[in-house]
Amino acid sequence: MNGSFRTCPTTGLKVHAQADGLIKANAVVATVALLIGGIAAVLVMLTRWQAIHLLSAEWFYRMLTIHGMNMLIFFILFFEMAVLYFASAVLLNSRVATPRLAWFSFWLMVLGTVIVEWTMFAGKADVLFTSYVPLRATPWYYLGVILFAVGALLVVCIFFATLVVARREKTYTGSVPLVTFGAATAAIIAVITLGHGAAIYIPTFLWSLDLMHVDAQVYRLVWWGLGHSSQQINVAAMVSVWYLLGAFTVGAVVLNEKISRTAFVLYVLFISMASAHHLLVDPGMGPTWKVWNTSYAMYLAVLASMIHGFTVPAGVELGQRLRGYAKGLFEWLRKAPWGDPGFSSLIFSIIIFGFVGGITGVTFGTEQINIIAHNTLRIPGHFHATVVAGTALAFMGVTYYVIPLIFRKQIAFWPLAKIQPYLFAVGMLIFSVAMTFAGTFGAPRRHWDMTFSQAPYEVQFSPAVDLVMGVMAIGGLIAAVGGAIYILVTVWSVFFGRPMPEGGQA
Amino acid sequence: MALHGVPQGIVSPPTSTPRSEDAGDEHGIGGRTPGTVILVFVFLLAFVLYYFVNWKLLSFVWRIG
Repeated sequence: MNGSFRTCPTTGLKVHAQADGLIKANAVVATVALLIGGIAAVLVMLTRWQAIHLLSAEWFYRMLTIHGMNMLIFFILFFEMAVLYFASAVLLNSRVATPRLAWFSFWLMVLGTVIVEWTMFAGKADVLFTSYVPLRATPWYYLGVILFAVGALLVVCIFFATLVVARREKTYTGSVPLVTFGAATAAIIAVITLGHGAAIYIPTFLWSLDLMHVDAQVYRLVWWGLGHSSQQINVAAMVSVWYLLGAFTVGAVVLNEKISRTAFVLYVLFISMASAHHLLVDPGMGPTWKVWNTSYAMYLAVLASMIHGFTVPAGVELGQRLRGYAKGLFEWLRKAPWGDPGFSSLIFSIIIFGFVGGITGVTFGTEQINIIAHNTLRIPGHFHATVVAGTALAFMGVTYYVIPLIFRKQIAFWPLAKIQPYLFAVGMLIFSVAMTFAGTFGAPRRHWDMTFSQAPYEVQFSPAVDLVMGVMAIGGLIAAVGGAIYILVTVWSVFFGRPMPEGGQA
Repeated sequence: MALHGVPQGIVSPPTSTPRSEDAGDEHGIGGRTPGTVILVFVFLLAFVLYYFVNWKLLSFVWRIG
C-alpha cells in the first residue's frame, strides 16, 4: 500500500495512496472543526447584537473560547496539514516519508482536539483563545493543546522529510514548485510557532498543577509568539493557495519566481516579530522594543504581502492577456471564469485580505494609533478580514478542486457551490467593516454586555454603534449562510457525491 | 464541454501555461499588466486615506499643546 500510486489524468501528478488518505482525513476533521466553530460564531454574534443578546455571560465566554480555538487552531491547522501533504507528496510526485508516523501524528492531533473540545464544552476552560495567566483552565485543556501541537510539529517534520525523499528519489526536476516553496515557508514558521507553544504551554500546564509559577507578563510575551505566528502560517499557506488557484483556474503566470520566493523568505525572517503588536499597550515592554518590532521588522513582512498581492493578480492578468483577453484595462477580469467557485474565492480572498485586513492591520500595528484601537472591535474587524475572508475563503476555494482531484467526487449542489464564495465574501466584508466602525466608536471586543447594565457606572456609546452592530450581525448571518453552504456542499460531495466519470478527471 | 459539478479548471484546464517572457519585456512587468497597476494605485489611495484618518482620530483624543 505504501508504494501504490495513481496518476491524475487532469494534472498528470502521481498521487501516493497514503498522501491521498492523509489529505482526506485532515480535510474532514478540519470541516468538522469549522462546523463547531461556525455554530459558536453565530451564537456569539447574536449575543454581541444587543437587540437579541442571546447567551448568558457564562455561555458567551464559553462559546467565544470554542469559536476561537476551533476556527483559529483546529480548522485552520488541520487544513494546513492537508496543504503540507499536497504541496510535498502530491506536487512532487513523491511518497510520504513516514506514513505510519504521519497517521500517528494525525490521531495525536485528533486526541488533543477531542480533549480540548471536551474541557471547553464542560465549562472547565472558559479562558478564551489567549488563556491569559492567571486565568486558569483544567490541566487537561493545556495537555490537549500540547498533544495537538506535538502532532502538528511531527507533520511539519514529515513534510520536510518528504521533501528530502522526493529530492533523493528524483521525483521532480529543477527547483521545487513555487507552491511547495511557499508551503515550506509556512512549515518553517510553524516550527517557530510550535517552539513558542511548547515554551509557554508546558510551563502553564505545570502551573495549572500547582507545580511552578508562571509570570503573567512573560506568558503574554511568549504566548503571542504562538498566537500570532500561528496566523502567519495561515498567511504563507494562503498565499501558496493563491498561486495554486491562479494556476488551476486560469493558468496564471508566475511573473518572477525570484521575487515571489524572496517575498516568502521575508515572511520567515520578519513575520514572527509582528507578534509584538499585540503588546503595544503593554506597560512591561519598552518603546524601543515595540518600535523596532512593529515599525521596522513588521513592515518587511508587510512588504512581502504587498509583493504577493501584486504578483498573484498580475499573474492572472498576464495569463489571461496571453490567451487573448487583452482589450482595454480589464477584459482579462471581465471574462474570467466568475462561475468557478475556485476563481471567485481567489479574487475575493485577495481583495478583502488586502483592502480590509491588510490596511487596517498595518495601521493598527502603528504604536501611536494602536492606543485608540487596542481592545476595541476594530481588532477582530481586522483579523476576520485576514483569517476568515482571506485564509478561510482561499481554503474554501481550493476545496472545490481538492474534492474532484483527491476525493474523486463531483461537487454536489453545484449551483449553490457557485454562489457560496459570493455569499461568504459579501457577508464577511459587511461584518468586518461594520465591526471596525463599531470599534472606531470605542465598542469593546470580547464583551458580553456593551450597555454595562449591571455596572455601578454608566458608559454611553454613540447611537450609531447600535446601528453598526446590527449591520455587523446581518453581515455575519449572510457569511454564516455561506459557511453553512460550504459545509453542506463539501460533506455531501465527499460522502454521498457522484464519482468522477471513468476515464475523465482524477 | 461543461460538466455539472466540476470546476472549469478541471473540465477544460487552461492550455499550457505561457511563460511571462512570452509577453515581451519592453514595458516591464507594469507595462504588461496595466489593469493590476491601476488596482495597486486604488489600494495605495485607500491605504493613505485610512492611515491619515486614523492619525486625525488620534489627534482628537491625544491633544498636544
